[in-house]
Amino acid sequence: MRAALWHYGKLLLSSLVLFLVVLTVLFFLLQLAPGDPVDSLIGDNPVSDEFRAQVMAAYGLDRPLGEQYVIYILNVFQGNLGLSFGTSQSVSELILGRIGNTLAIALPAFVISTIGGLVIGAIAARTRSKLLDGGISGAAVALFSVPNFWLGILLIMLFSVTLHWLPTQGKAPYGQEGIYLQYLILPVITMASTELAYKARIMRSSMIEALGQDFVDTARSKGISRRDVLWRHAVPNALLPMVTVSGYSLGFALAGSVVVEKVFGWPGMGLLMIDAINRNNNQVVLGVAIVITLSVIVINILTDVVYGIVDPRLRARFSGKGRTA
Amino acid sequence: MSDAAPSPAEVLAAAERALAAPPTGVAPTRPGGRRRTSLWRAFFRKPSTYIYLGILALMVLASFVGPAFAGDPVATAYQKLLPPSGELLLGTDHLGRDYLARVLQGGQVSLLVGVSVAVLCMTLGLVIGGLAGFFGGFADIVLVRVAEFFQVLPALVLALVSAALFGANEVVIIVILSITMWPAVARIVRAESMRIEQLGYVESARAAGFRALRILWSDVLPNAMPPVIVATTMTVGRAILVESALSYLGVGDSNRPSWGALLNSAQGYLTTGWWLALFPGLCIFVVVLAVNMLGDSLNDSLNPSIGKVK
Repeated sequence: MRAALWHYGKLLLSSLVLFLVVLTVLFFLLQLAPGDPVDSLIGDNPVSDEFRAQVMAAYGLDRPLGEQYVIYILNVFQGNLGLSFGTSQSVSELILGRIGNTLAIALPAFVISTIGGLVIGAIAARTRSKLLDGGISGAAVALFSVPNFWLGILLIMLFSVTLHWLPTQGKAPYGQEGIYLQYLILPVITMASTELAYKARIMRSSMIEALGQDFVDTARSKGISRRDVLWRHAVPNALLPMVTVSGYSLGFALAGSVVVEKVFGWPGMGLLMIDAINRNNNQVVLGVAIVITLSVIVINILTDVVYGIVDPRLRARFSGKGRTA
Repeated sequence: MSDAAPSPAEVLAAAERALAAPPTGVAPTRPGGRRRTSLWRAFFRKPSTYIYLGILALMVLASFVGPAFAGDPVATAYQKLLPPSGELLLGTDHLGRDYLARVLQGGQVSLLVGVSVAVLCMTLGLVIGGLAGFFGGFADIVLVRVAEFFQVLPALVLALVSAALFGANEVVIIVILSITMWPAVARIVRAESMRIEQLGYVESARAAGFRALRILWSDVLPNAMPPVIVATTMTVGRAILVESALSYLGVGDSNRPSWGALLNSAQGYLTTGWWLALFPGLCIFVVVLAVNMLGDSLNDSLNPSIGKVK
């Protein structure tokens, strides 16, 4: 048990340090940005003197750099990501209003790509048909090489413009609230495709590796049927790298959602960021970057926890009964 | 996390290594050794190699020499949104410009960014990865930490932030993509150097009294090259994809529109000008696919031991 506490304590600490490093880098990028610091925060947009003073006060821009840095970090840890220029809305609130929409496409895409990648990768590793394996591997490389947004555009051209089956933009018919299923289909497919190709490749190679291990031969020689060897011995071992890969890729999928949201005009966090870039609204840009980073870090911690549960070696170590390596 | 059972990061690294598998079972090769030569020969004996190389050569020629023969990419000399025809192979865009000329010109940015980023990544990867693997110590810590950093701050996000703060041009994009992508190459160099360091010929070089840096330069790095070349090849593809995503999002260099930027403006004309969205995307796809296939095939030739176990 103590081993587990030690392990996760260390993990939490190093994650915190990593987050601080990212914040520090973002802070100094902001300092390095050309022009007046207030301008780089609010963009070169006309704002009232009152708002300018508000920003100056909120970030202590009149104070020494070290103090500004501490204020910046403390603000972030209190969930204060600053104010959006013009509307003076809180950036945290803006992001909170959008994050649900991003998850609405990221999570289904994650589930589809993970299950699909598992099954397809396992089939490619197992099959005796060179044609099938080659076909799957070839399709994976192709899918891997397609620019994600172009695939989305092609899907729109086929299913929306030509066939009129699905809508092109947005998450609901004009004037409607909520998310409609037919609006969800294309963004989710677009987002899942690249991930699926990546996961299928990883699954295939780790499955081939598992099938070549001694314990597979041992199981076979004990007279266990081919099918049981596959599902009870090879697949569980091949799954371990998949846990990690899926976890890490979920974080990157959040970054990728920026592109997918732009293609489909999906009002999530990513579209918020793009709009902010176009309007030089740097506070919002940084805010979204911070939220994405934080999500990736949290997902990585969760991945590690899941890994500890799934991997019997770690489980044994944590319960204190395992061999000490 | 050396005391833990394999940490997720290590497992991931292992999984990625399996994709760009270093030659685990391959006998140690001396520079110019027989074994390596035959591996390269196997690669250059495959007909598919010439297909991929041919496609890439064609795209490079078309992008850098082609514009001299094509029309003016900025002159609005024609009717707007003319579909492809015998006279105008790719039709015209929404302002009446020759689209073929624009697509050819767009290739320059994409290819330039892809190759520059890959070369920079390989250089950084060899230097830092080699030092980290061979000496450990400070370089090792830097490598591990920086790799961790870019695992939580994805390249695309950092590039977007920098573009917002500094404005985007080709140089900024090349620098940012190189900064974010080099750890992938460095990790492979590091693993290879650590493996090679254990081999007999490094020991004999040490015994012969050669200096450590000289051993790293003339014995370790040359033998680490095969997987590094594979990783560098793949980096070209990834860099082109990220650059195209950036310029699609509208943060590229607006003076010289790349393929991604063309797709950005094409999206407004999906119903009236399908060719505007089709051809630049097809170009990206073909180049990245050829690069990835080349990398895969190179990987297979250089790692004959990694086959399917049956």
